Amino acid sequence: MTSTLQTCFDDRDSLIAYVKKLAPWADGAASQIQGGRLKAEMRLAAINPIKYGGSRNFGDGHVTRLSPYIHHGVLSLNEVRNHALSQCSQPVQITKFIQELAWRDFWQLVLRAHPHWAWADVEPYKTGFSAQDYADALPADIAEGKTGVACLDAFINELIETGYIHNHARMYLASYVVHYRRVKWQAGARWFLQHLLDGDIASNNLSWQWVASTFSNKPYIFNLENVERYFGKLVDTSPALNQPLHATYETLQLGLFPNLGMTL
Amino acid sequence: MSKPLILLHQEALRRTHPVFDAAPAETKAIYVWDDAFFKDANYSLKRLVFVYETLCELPVDIIRGGTLETVLQLAPSLLYIPAANNPLLISLIDSIKKEVPAKIVEDEPFVTLQRKTEFRRFFQYWNKAEKTAFLLDGSEDA
Repeated sequence: MTSTLQTCFDDRDSLIAYVKKLAPWADGAASQIQGGRLKAEMRLAAINPIKYGGSRNFGDGHVTRLSPYIHHGVLSLNEVRNHALSQCSQPVQITKFIQELAWRDFWQLVLRAHPHWAWADVEPYKTGFSAQDYADALPADIAEGKTGVACLDAFINELIETGYIHNHARMYLASYVVHYRRVKWQAGARWFLQHLLDGDIASNNLSWQWVASTFSNKPYIFNLENVERYFGKLVDTSPALNQPLHATYETLQLGLFPNLGMTL
Repeated sequence: MSKPLILLHQEALRRTHPVFDAAPAETKAIYVWDDAFFKDANYSLKRLVFVYETLCELPVDIIRGGTLETVLQLAPSLLYIPAANNPLLISLIDSIKKEVPAKIVEDEPFVTLQRKTEFRRFFQYWNKAEKTAFLLDGSEDA
């Protein structure tokens, strides 16, 4: 006989304790970000798709944080788009916002057409290295947010604690894992999927491949100046505490991809 | 006599998903809390809590067990399942379809693409999608 699980709780703590009992093997604690349609509708009502366009790359920009709800189907892409259209007088005002929704649709279409790309390199690395040159496992210092690179440790701690980080921070971490530490993108993608509330195999894994260059024309790299520009108000970007990132792109490229020279 | 059933999964956790319209009125919806699936996916507690509190707001019975085993036990006349994107879920749904009559229901589309095309880069997709991406319901008919 099947029996149904409890769905009414006095408060959120009781629900969390119940889920912990159901899954004693699951790591970590609950996030402050709450699930459910009511929370999703509140967040949708608060978006500003016009301001999103000019500020989305900044840590304190007008990002929507809708992705956990979209991933779980609590909100559909169509519903979010329709709401965004109601917030502008001309659709062109929200082009970047619509394009970000479209990226998700694109990743889903790609993965549906090629399910094996979820975990296999779509193309060879374009870094001057082959896949065998990359480590299989994620180093413990990265998984624990103890890399010694202050801004990255802050992003990792936020990921572990909340299950959400800004897309730009995701790109920094992915680039650090794959290019600075030479670890296979699959190890990083698996780590993100463990923690991200919006962890979606299509968007997540294909984005990791985009950063790694196995699904793009060149590897994505960043430096401290870039982090300072977009997250300088939010994380410690002092050169002393972020040494590996404190360099020009030319220097980084030569150091990270010595087999390529300056051909990127 | 067996009845139809809706099998929700974690990519379709809303009452307005088309699967509810596809099934006959009053069709019961279930969600199987599948430990093996979650362990396989290596979910942290954060993710599990998010899914659970979303489920608590839905008209759905949460049943603990293996997904396939639970469905076989309930023996529905027809199972309505939202289409999935995660290869793990797709594989699970494929295994169910071999044992039980099932109808897969797609979510509402974001854009209208004139024909099935394979895309390798975003702007190949965007060049086709842009025409309807800015329209209500992603359609010129809306």
